[in-house]
Amino acid sequence: MKKLLSLALAATLTLSLAACGGNNSGSGSDSANAPAANNTEAASGSTRTLKVAALETAYGADVWQEIATAYEKVKPEVKIELTIDKNLEDVIGPGMKSGDFPDVIHLGVGQPKGLTETFVKDNNLTDLTEVLYMTVPGESATVREKLIPGFTDTTITNPYGEGNTYLMPMFYSPCGLFFNAGLFEEKGWTVPQTWDEMWALGDKAKAEGIALFSYPTTGYFDAFFYALLNEAGGPEFFTRAMNYTEGIWKTEEAAKAFDVVDKLANYTEKTVPANGNKDNFVKNQQLILDNKALFMPNGTWVVGEMSKAPRADGFKWGFTALPALTDGGDRYSYTFFEQIWVPAKAKNADLAKEFIAYLYSDEAASIFAKVGAVQPIKGMSDKLEGDNKLFYSVYDSGAKAAMGAFATTDPVEGVSISDTVFGTVDSLVTKSKTKDQWIEAITKASDSLRGALKK
Amino acid sequence: MNTDHQHSSNRFYKFIIYILLIALAIIIIVPVGWAFLASIKQDAEFYGSPWALPEGIHLQNFTDAWQKAKMGSYMLNSVITTAIALSLLLVIALPAAYVLARYKFKGSTFWNMLFMAGLFININYIVVPIFLMLNNGDKSMRSILGQPIFLNNLFILALVYAAMALPFTIYLLSGYFKTLPKEYEEAASVDGAGYFRTMVQVIMPMAKPSIVTVILFNFLSFWNEYIISMTLLTKPGLRTLPVGLMNLMAAQKSAVQYGQMYAGLVLVMLPTLLLYILVQKKLTQGMTMGGLKG
Amino acid sequence: MDNRKGRGRFIFFCLAPAVILFIIFLIIPTIDVFRMSLYKWGGYTDHKTFVGLQNFTKLFQSEKFYQTFQNSVLLIVVVSIVTFAFALLFASMLSREKLIGQNFFRIIFYIPNILSIVVISAIFSAIYDPNNGLLNAFLNLFRSASSDPILWLGDQKIVIYSLCGAMVWQAIGYYMVMYMASMANIPESLYESAELEGASRRHQFFAITIPLIWTNIRTTLTFFIISTINMSFLFVMAMTGGGPDGATEVFLSYMYKEAYTNSSYGYGMAIGVVVFLFSFALAAVLNAVTRREHLEY
Repeated sequence: MKKLLSLALAATLTLSLAACGGNNSGSGSDSANAPAANNTEAASGSTRTLKVAALETAYGADVWQEIATAYEKVKPEVKIELTIDKNLEDVIGPGMKSGDFPDVIHLGVGQPKGLTETFVKDNNLTDLTEVLYMTVPGESATVREKLIPGFTDTTITNPYGEGNTYLMPMFYSPCGLFFNAGLFEEKGWTVPQTWDEMWALGDKAKAEGIALFSYPTTGYFDAFFYALLNEAGGPEFFTRAMNYTEGIWKTEEAAKAFDVVDKLANYTEKTVPANGNKDNFVKNQQLILDNKALFMPNGTWVVGEMSKAPRADGFKWGFTALPALTDGGDRYSYTFFEQIWVPAKAKNADLAKEFIAYLYSDEAASIFAKVGAVQPIKGMSDKLEGDNKLFYSVYDSGAKAAMGAFATTDPVEGVSISDTVFGTVDSLVTKSKTKDQWIEAITKASDSLRGALKK
Repeated sequence: MNTDHQHSSNRFYKFIIYILLIALAIIIIVPVGWAFLASIKQDAEFYGSPWALPEGIHLQNFTDAWQKAKMGSYMLNSVITTAIALSLLLVIALPAAYVLARYKFKGSTFWNMLFMAGLFININYIVVPIFLMLNNGDKSMRSILGQPIFLNNLFILALVYAAMALPFTIYLLSGYFKTLPKEYEEAASVDGAGYFRTMVQVIMPMAKPSIVTVILFNFLSFWNEYIISMTLLTKPGLRTLPVGLMNLMAAQKSAVQYGQMYAGLVLVMLPTLLLYILVQKKLTQGMTMGGLKG
Repeated sequence: MDNRKGRGRFIFFCLAPAVILFIIFLIIPTIDVFRMSLYKWGGYTDHKTFVGLQNFTKLFQSEKFYQTFQNSVLLIVVVSIVTFAFALLFASMLSREKLIGQNFFRIIFYIPNILSIVVISAIFSAIYDPNNGLLNAFLNLFRSASSDPILWLGDQKIVIYSLCGAMVWQAIGYYMVMYMASMANIPESLYESAELEGASRRHQFFAITIPLIWTNIRTTLTFFIISTINMSFLFVMAMTGGGPDGATEVFLSYMYKEAYTNSSYGYGMAIGVVVFLFSFALAAVLNAVTRREHLEY
């Protein structure tokens, strides 16, 4: 039926096209020619084309061009076809719906359209464990040896819990609380080490008309909340929570985390929920630069994001891990990292794996590092300068690293754990939902996802 | 005494009307003017109060948007697509609307109803099925012609636009055609004119104001459309203006170039404003004569 | 003599292109939407599982969908009524009164309708801004400036009405022009004789204007439903993204979220089917309820 239909369609449209062929030859057929030309080349066996798609982020599109050129020098028989776009999901999504897959996709989880999550949920990824044991092209070490340990043991990189890695960690950045260090110096305040100190500071700041807390959008609570769960119950508790273990949200540990968020909601600048959308979140970040709020959860990219924004006199970026729950307790900073992966249906999975291995070479890493993109390669963070040095040294000064995210499940219609856990924070700030309602909703969502967990 | 009283109440009434009209006019002019002013601000000015006047005239925004953000070439794509879509639409919808409105034939009620039902179909959920269909077509094309022709093709995009606009356009036009007295065709038939000539030479010229209305309405929707365009044109070079604008707005964790973005906004807005001002007189006229009486 | 064959051929050639396009690009995709609503499909794999009406049963048990439904219906009702009232009021002012700058007002009022949603959302972000926004600045003229700012886009109870405000702003001009067009067809003599009988303006409006443009009003009711469903989606995507915490989630934004973000394409299409049937039914009901005897001028 479908085939017949498309043939009929093809026939009708060819007729109309033939009539108007002259009109659109300029733009339409030129680009249509390009992939066809590549196909014939591939068939002749001289070179093979590797299709690489990457999300254009703050690091820019040029860096990928540079990587492609460098790789083509290392591997002359491979030609790289790049798709770099800020709306990558919209650009490659439709094509993939009909079976046209890039070989390599650089796009992390947590994007607005959740394309990567969809592939994980559908078991639609190529197993990349092998890449870990591959020797980096042009070097003697394997990828595994070069990587900072821990990055390939997370629920994000190994989504199915059987120990195999399907998504490779790329650029990482520590997440925590950002503040104006200049203001703290000026007022003689110290950065709180525990949440109790935090609340005390909050009351002090309130007296001066400064709110304690701001957040760009509720989406930024993921890193915050993951770190908080680690503080409350340790990594093992965190893992159980991420796997929707029964009753986990009613435990004492979870209650501690919920209490902090609920209390924080009371200390949040009042206008934050109104600007917590994609058009206006910058205004919530501006609150820190204007000394209207003290802390916000964020990642290192915020420095670039706000680079053109005006700021209070003496403003200086400060960055800290989350305060500890008890005196002397563990402090955590969540490690955010982007992922690169290969769709299960990629035509050149073998080439894709080699290409990914190359990305961890010293050559590639230094190209990325030039634009501030830091991969989890041993020794990379020592080479950093300026603000970045401060940020990446957070783990050296005692904070523990938290990694991972809610485990992937088969799609459950109408249930979104991140909307339930993080999205509700807006409602806590405006007081239209209570903490108990929040916990209740999380428990319910968690219950319905448990059955859909990937086995 | 009595007339005096009436006179003053009349003046009071007029006064109220003016207040209301001026209030609405201000509510519209101020924000639109604001968008224009924003387009000549420098990026740093956007972090302060949005209502501050620009510190200077920063026309660099427009050059940046036009060249760096490639809005210039996107504009060309938009012009081509919109022009083709409008011509296709008129050529296809006018005869259909005419026939549906003025001829009784087997199935005429059915087709009238079906096109009416088409009004309820929303592009937002059929865009993916359309994409899949075209892509399957491309797969067969690749084996027949050796190259895909349906996706990344401005003509096909225009064709889809025209198809999307059919229900509303036919509805609008046939409404108008229904109001014409039968005598026109009878007279033409006495003069020996065939069906086709009657339609082209007698009826169409009378429908001019309605056609202008149709052109304006559809120009606006084609020009501002981005969901279909984003899906069917995946090659970056082939973007249309609104999609280019969306890309300009997607900051992805880097500093937003507000100035450029608002310059882009103005570039999208300007052609529609110009066209509207050019045809606005005909607009009301077209609807007056048109079938919007129902 | 009667050229039946020619007539048939003429009808065929006039209708065929439109019908073909219509079937290919509207009917078949719509059928596909109905078909996919019976499947469970993530969107990027080959295995589509047929699940019958399961997507629909899940939909009707989902609290979120009811919230979405409520928001959408609220928007349809409020936006339609407010737009309708204002458009009618301004249309009758502009077509019944002799005013200075009549043409100017008419041109200006239509402008919001020609702007892209992206422009409108940027404008309203600036109007609704809690600290620097025009609206709060204006309200502060009447109350102490130190009182808490109103969170037009942040307060769950207000945000949907803020959305209404933007949508009404955008739509008034369009419907105003429509009503003006049909008011222009009402013969002046009717008003003149009413004037002689001493009928007030209000009386003339309800006794002459409304009944005589009734068919037009009925038509626009259908437009209100169709366009509010569609526009509310575009506005939500541009302005709030469905937030805060789902308070502005509408039919189509929820559909998008499920079909693309939550990897439940089939479920998303089920929402599409419900929206289609709902708008169709609503229009039919309204059409039946508003049926009146047709008045001729």
